[in-house]
Amino acid sequence: MSFLQALLTNEYYIHLVILICIYALLAQSFNLTFGLGKSFNLAHIASYAIGAYTTAILAVDQSRSPLPCMFWSLVLSGVFALTIAIIAIRLSEDYFAIGTLAFSALITALLVNWKSLTRGVLGIPGIPRPEFSFFESQTFYDNFNFLGLAATVLIVVELLLLGIFSSPYARALRAQAEFEQGALAIGHNARVLRTISFVLASAIAGLAGSLFAYYINYIDPSSFSLTEMVFIITIVVLGRPGSFWGVNGAAAFLVLLPEPLRQFDLPPSILGPMRQLIYALILFGVVFLNRNKLWPRLRRI
Amino acid sequence: MDFLRAKTALLSCDMDILPQLLINALITGSIYALASAGLALCYGVLRILNFAHGHLMMTGVYLFYLFSVTLGLALLPAALSTALAVAAVGAVSFTVFVRPFTRHNPVLPLVTTLALSTVLESSVAMAFGVNVKSLNTEMVSSLEIYGIFITPLQIGIIISALLLLGLTGLVIHFTPAGRTLRALAENEEAAQSLGIGSDRIRFLVFLISALMAAYAGIMLGYETNLQPTMGNSYTIKAFAAMVLGGLGNIWGTVAGAYLLGLVENLSIGLDFGGYSLPAGYRDAFAFMAILLMLLVRPSGLFRRAARRL
Amino acid sequence: MNPTFLQISDLEFSIGEASILNGISCQVPRGETVGIIGPNGSGKTTLFNCISGFNLPSRGRIIFDATDITAVSPHTRALHGLGRVFQNSGVFRELSVEENMLTALESRDSLIRKFFPARSHRAQRRQLAREFLSEINLDAKSSHKAGSLSGGQLRLLEIVRTLAFGAEVFLLDEPTAGVSPRMKEDVAGLIAKLQQRGKTILVIEHDINFIQKFCQRILVLDGGRVVMDGPPDTVRSDRRLQEIYFGNKTQSES
Repeated sequence: MSFLQALLTNEYYIHLVILICIYALLAQSFNLTFGLGKSFNLAHIASYAIGAYTTAILAVDQSRSPLPCMFWSLVLSGVFALTIAIIAIRLSEDYFAIGTLAFSALITALLVNWKSLTRGVLGIPGIPRPEFSFFESQTFYDNFNFLGLAATVLIVVELLLLGIFSSPYARALRAQAEFEQGALAIGHNARVLRTISFVLASAIAGLAGSLFAYYINYIDPSSFSLTEMVFIITIVVLGRPGSFWGVNGAAAFLVLLPEPLRQFDLPPSILGPMRQLIYALILFGVVFLNRNKLWPRLRRI
Repeated sequence: MDFLRAKTALLSCDMDILPQLLINALITGSIYALASAGLALCYGVLRILNFAHGHLMMTGVYLFYLFSVTLGLALLPAALSTALAVAAVGAVSFTVFVRPFTRHNPVLPLVTTLALSTVLESSVAMAFGVNVKSLNTEMVSSLEIYGIFITPLQIGIIISALLLLGLTGLVIHFTPAGRTLRALAENEEAAQSLGIGSDRIRFLVFLISALMAAYAGIMLGYETNLQPTMGNSYTIKAFAAMVLGGLGNIWGTVAGAYLLGLVENLSIGLDFGGYSLPAGYRDAFAFMAILLMLLVRPSGLFRRAARRL
Repeated sequence: MNPTFLQISDLEFSIGEASILNGISCQVPRGETVGIIGPNGSGKTTLFNCISGFNLPSRGRIIFDATDITAVSPHTRALHGLGRVFQNSGVFRELSVEENMLTALESRDSLIRKFFPARSHRAQRRQLAREFLSEINLDAKSSHKAGSLSGGQLRLLEIVRTLAFGAEVFLLDEPTAGVSPRMKEDVAGLIAKLQQRGKTILVIEHDINFIQKFCQRILVLDGGRVVMDGPPDTVRSDRRLQEIYFGNKTQSES
């Protein structure tokens, strides 16, 4: 108990736990499309970006209150997934990966170039911490309280996902991922099942983006690069795709993993790439060791 | 950035810059063609979509920077050392990140080459730093031919691209090795049942693909600045060329690359009734091309389903 | 009742230059069992793919239960009552045996119910799944991964799954391929049960001895055409059958 107390009174530890909450949201939603549905949606990070920018723009430019900001982050990210589905839902693996990568790159290009809206590479500073009228006693400028908010969002989303993971929907999603024609032959509309998984996952990623923007106060396009996507993939692959608790564990483990590196007092220009290198090597290692069981060989008629 | 220095001075002019734009398009297209031909060759023979292709370009140009600028070698020794080093990187990449996964679900190599791209990017960032670097140590003066500005190096890019692509074509279409490649590309299973297509051929194809990427990267390095993060956007451009030309169709891909260069230069350079597109959107054409093609014609612009090479 | 349950007229299908089906026509009344035989590459599986909607024919119509389904999507056809049992097994090996049954039983539920199944439903579905599984003696293995089953068990599971899903027509693509001789009897027994329930069955087989026991009629395909159509005994004694399988393969006429 005293350990827990120490943990939650230290600002830096609180910071880490908030990060774990955000990455758990991102990874768990990716786990829905990728783990259960086996769709390699590289635009997941773009959904996160859309959520973050929606909140930032509404909160800074229009001084909207937190609930509408989070709501619109969720909705716009969900709509974004629908546009992905229109183009990419019918494509085979290779084309799907190229298409979603293009979507992701297109969003990055918009963030960098639509300067009147996003301020380009300068990013959007000064995002205020959320204030809820019905919660007047609590100020979320305090990181401990913000952790409460992030954890609440995480718990609500995870309870929802826990239900979904064991639902008939998830069963059908897994079935069509393994053998699409087999699922069609027993009346499952595979494309609708996949589209729903994209929209749900994207909306959750948008919500994570909203939390991220509120927490970090300043966002710029570099937070939503492909290397971030590699990190999310690493979490899901290490946690075992489709495994609810495994992915939660992996999110916590991988966020904390590079922490010992801080002892060595490395400059940030080394520390950042080194962190990425570690994650990429873990991703490769896990895929290599499990290459025979991670994804079954494709079946086609 | 100042992708083509010669162009910027002329941006304000009107239609008489068209010849200049066409030449610029040819330069850009040459680089894209070199880059994407390697990717298409790799996809055609190995059936692997290499997400690290642009990062191999980036690694190639950084290695060249190491030999020619940091170590101060002359052009030829620097180029040879770079080729050897890239071959080594390619060999390790293939053996570790590609070969173990060729017989598995196609998602596996997508994930591992994505991991490879991050490994290359972060290694280069750690070795060379994240700041912008340049191969051009001195200002190169342009020649003016009939009102078109072009540097001798850019002429070299255009010609060497044509030569290299022509050589590739000769090898693929007129040599026994090329026959093997075409057999593999058309029907891997049938080719294998005839005993064609060993791991060694795949290995060589990947090496050639990496070397072509590195060469394109170096050419690019003379036209633009170096950054560890530059790889990804060139991977996407090569993908765009490949989607335009049809996945694995190498000549379609080369045509797609020149087309992409043309569209990028014309749309940014020309102004449409007082409104010209901001130069920052140049990269977006590749993404738009991919999405548009996937929407209307995933098989590529040139319908040639059965033949791949 | 409809005299013709499934009607295929003048079906053509080609991939690039190669034409696989060259005008196939046949009519199947409700409750009939039709065997389809023919050498490799004669278009048997492609015909099934056209009927289940995985291949779109370039010409011809498919009418099922008085509805033109030629351009209908595969899952809609399935919901209509067209069941397909795949050649290389369509069982989901990553799912458990029970889950394979459940996902078939649940596929007609509304989307909301797929996310929030009613509690009473859940128990009832599992009970149903158990009953179906006990018919093929797999109820003891219901929690095993389906990938651990033998070839014969996979076949039985897929047929029962299609039955549980509520198919009226069964398209069985080589139900005894990769099945041990002992299990072949089980497959035949299950097919007999389907017949008792009045199901319409089209079955592709290589082994004419196996299907002549339970088919009322046999179609012989060659080169994408129906070359023979009649009761098993007539087809079996026909000289042309030997020619197609063993003899000088000249162009056979229909």
